[in-house]
Amino acid sequence: MSEQQGAQRAWRWNDPAREAERQAQHELLIDLLGAYVDEELPPETASQLDAHLVGCARCRREVQLQLAVRDTLAATPMAPARPALRDRILAATTTLPQASAAGAVVGLPAVDVHPGDATSRTGRRSLLRRLTTWLVAVAMLAGGWAVWHSVAGADRARVTTLGTPTASVPLLAAAAADFRRLGSADLPGPARDLDAVRAAVGVPVEPLTGPSVRLLGAWTTSLVGVPTAVLAYRWDDRLVVQYIVPDQLFFRHPAIRAAAASHHRVGATDGNVGLVAWPLAAAGSVLVGEGSPERLSGALAR
Amino acid sequence: MIPASDQDLEQVQAQFQALVMPHLDRLLGFAARRTRSSAEAEDAVQEACVRAWLGFAGLRDPAKVRPWLYCILRAVLADNCERDGRRQRLVSITRLEDEHEALVGGDDDAVLVEVDGRLTSEVIRAALADIPEDFATAVEMHDIDGFKYQEIADILGIPIGTVMSRISRGRRLLAGAIAANQRAWLRDDGKGERQAEARRAARAVGIEAQGGLRS
Repeated sequence: MSEQQGAQRAWRWNDPAREAERQAQHELLIDLLGAYVDEELPPETASQLDAHLVGCARCRREVQLQLAVRDTLAATPMAPARPALRDRILAATTTLPQASAAGAVVGLPAVDVHPGDATSRTGRRSLLRRLTTWLVAVAMLAGGWAVWHSVAGADRARVTTLGTPTASVPLLAAAAADFRRLGSADLPGPARDLDAVRAAVGVPVEPLTGPSVRLLGAWTTSLVGVPTAVLAYRWDDRLVVQYIVPDQLFFRHPAIRAAAASHHRVGATDGNVGLVAWPLAAAGSVLVGEGSPERLSGALAR
Repeated sequence: MIPASDQDLEQVQAQFQALVMPHLDRLLGFAARRTRSSAEAEDAVQEACVRAWLGFAGLRDPAKVRPWLYCILRAVLADNCERDGRRQRLVSITRLEDEHEALVGGDDDAVLVEVDGRLTSEVIRAALADIPEDFATAVEMHDIDGFKYQEIADILGIPIGTVMSRISRGRRLLAGAIAANQRAWLRDDGKGERQAEARRAARAVGIEAQGGLRS
């Protein structure tokens, strides 16, 4: 032990009243030291602490500790959210109803709403009310599905143009290339048994039906290395080809997932070839033919 | 009121995405420190964003979007915690305060300098799990997420004086937890070294008994 430390200990023992006073002061100040290093104290309080720190090694150590912990935490690396999470959230915002008025966030006078409102009982009741309303609406929609589908035509018929180049979606690029190959050669032999095709690809395969759509043949191929059912049709005196692929391939690309989640068909073009993609019950389907995706979508009308 | 047209809806969606998506990384970090896996953290953030979308009308001031999102995320995490019945791995506060006292209450800086020199993000992240949630949350919101004291008070719904106290005391408890962990590691290291030495000695005895090394 150094001479100075020995003297300090002796002083402590010799003056218990001052030591008790100092200890009481520590108890009062110690909870302020965090705010002191964060510069969150009023100037006059900070000045009082400045004066205290000059003569108090213990509080100086406390300040050093507060700074060390704060700065280490501030340097904690932040892992970026995976693109898949972003896609899931974006898809949710396009499928769930948005109960607020358009322009509710921007355009109205700024009202200082306590952020806690979102979790307050009122907020929860409000959220529950909205969810209940939504569930009731869903039930009503489910009940009227058949009428809605037959009379008004599903919103699914709406074609959303792909937001990225077709070449960047391997499934669509491969389907377009395969269609071009077919266009420049004879179709593969007579139509195969659909059950054999189903067994080969392992997904349900149901041909399109419609007044002017006629199945010409069915076979299997491989798109992006995945077994795929190919169904060729004569529609409006032209050839259109449907590719049915497993879910894993269909939902692989975020642009497809986003459109599928919004219950819209995905439309894309590759030169003079149009493509329309949509999800099936347990698979995905891509229809390819010459012309625009909107026109091609007419082959799906029943 | 539901947006009158698809165009209105798309406009609201664009507003929502522009306001919310930039905060996704930080929200995920906050959730990750309170869940058992990255999948759970992602689920919590997604749930929070869905709730935010459903209640988007409740946000009147776009400048407050970040505290608003944290508020919602905390509610989601609290619901999950209640549902899962999870409990934190807590260390006695008294023990952590004793460890902290040993750091700052001595007559020299040696122990403090030692702990300071070993502080890393990993070490401190592990220590965050040892201290009570109230303290950890206040410290993280300030030191990691960059909220001001008043914002933290608004999010947590507590007076600013309580925020001040929780941050200061939370850092002290963290330092105590780190010191306690280091003591445990040092003990384990010593034990491991002794065991390795014992194994080496046992092998040497065995070799000797078999008649020495074969060439």
